Amino acid sequence: MKTYHDIVGDGGSNVVAQVAEQQRRMAIRLAPVSHIVAVMSGKGGVGKSSLSVNVATAFAMAGRKVGLLDADINGASIVKMTGVRREPEAAYGGVRPPTTAAGVRVMSIDLFLADDTPVTWDAATQKDAFTWRAMMEQAALREMVTDTEWGELDYLLIDLPPGTDRLPNLVDLLTRLSAAVVVTVPSQAAHHVVGKSIRMAREIMKAPRLGIVENMSRFVCPDCGNTHDLFHGDRADALAAQHGVPFLGKIPFDPRMAQLTDSGLNFIGEHPDSPTSEAIRKLTVRLEHLVEETSPVAQ
Amino acid sequence: MKFLCVECDEAMRLQSTRGPDEGSMSVLFECPSCGRQIAMLTNSMETQMVRSLGVKIGSGGSTPGRMETIRNSLRGVEGLGAQAHPRNDATPPTEQSDSLEQAEDQQAGGKCPFTGVVNEAFGRQEEVQGFVWTAEAEERLGRIPSFVQGMVRKGIEEYAREIGVTEIDAKVMEAARSRFGM
Repeated sequence: MKTYHDIVGDGGSNVVAQVAEQQRRMAIRLAPVSHIVAVMSGKGGVGKSSLSVNVATAFAMAGRKVGLLDADINGASIVKMTGVRREPEAAYGGVRPPTTAAGVRVMSIDLFLADDTPVTWDAATQKDAFTWRAMMEQAALREMVTDTEWGELDYLLIDLPPGTDRLPNLVDLLTRLSAAVVVTVPSQAAHHVVGKSIRMAREIMKAPRLGIVENMSRFVCPDCGNTHDLFHGDRADALAAQHGVPFLGKIPFDPRMAQLTDSGLNFIGEHPDSPTSEAIRKLTVRLEHLVEETSPVAQ
Repeated sequence: MKFLCVECDEAMRLQSTRGPDEGSMSVLFECPSCGRQIAMLTNSMETQMVRSLGVKIGSGGSTPGRMETIRNSLRGVEGLGAQAHPRNDATPPTEQSDSLEQAEDQQAGGKCPFTGVVNEAFGRQEEVQGFVWTAEAEERLGRIPSFVQGMVRKGIEEYAREIGVTEIDAKVMEAARSRFGM
């Protein structure tokens, strides 16, 4: 009796070929993208999305061609933070992404939904939806990568939802990944999860280009310039050294960044001389070194 | 998943699909040697899982449309939700989109003989001559899934051009189906 492997094809649907075609289309779409960088955190609430938006903006303001993909299907926030219009435009061969004032090309599931509409999927029944919901989200993510007219990019930043499983899911999906940036805050709880994220990234990516950035490292008063600690945990540079991972920098907390980013406005454009803007620009330089495999040393 | 006729030790071939009907798909397979048939019946979870892979059962490998899962499965979708064929824009294709079209044309061969016409219609850039569709033909076209109607229309019009007719009625549609072995 023949076994599964003795039979060529699947009788007519050619599912394997269809899946291979999906991969091929994605590879073609991403061919003009020089570097794909995942922005991740094991823990939520560390300001990853806000940082992704501002890093993308800093790159764009430095003359780089940048795309920003909101991979957080159920917690999408990039559309709101970038202020782009919710009008995805059909184009020949795909969907044209809206661009921010600084020139960042944005794609998010939020572009297809009216404000406040949650992500739910059509099905004959929502009963036991837990069995297939994650697969639908992965399919949507695949389509946003493959069917968006990114064009030529220096960087495609992918803002991942929190969780240590997100990077392996992304690596399974993409044909390639240049680097992963792990965002943390100076708290013990965050560092505990970051350690897991680094181990997971190393196991999945084999030769990972990883970097750690410490967000909300301290509060700089915009009036007097005094600095204050927001958290009292271990320093992320020590964590990076412990794991043998490049440390990409500390980003001080500026309430104006939260305020402007939440409103979809350009914080770096409005406050280019703030310590936070300066730190983000330095981060982009170190990130460029990381993806180009030169030595990213944070002072 | 593959199906084997144990008696003949032959792989069974897909004959037809039906549904989803209340979430269930019926997929009919037949042994090419003895003609024995079986039907695979999926429950709603299984149907949804297949849907989430972005593949089509029984399509013979035809290429899904752009953002198909998002357009067709996401509730409350706006923007591209009503557009069956994103390639309606007058903007000239880029080199990359041409490459994507070539990649689609080079996809592994499938059972569906209509796939070739669909792919050709997908890649066509020139305007199709005006044809007159009878009400009955339009009604029949309306019965097929909206996201493939554009492609099917182009294919039938191409066939009509080949045979030198400008009015498309039910007879022409039937002849096109026979021509493509459906």
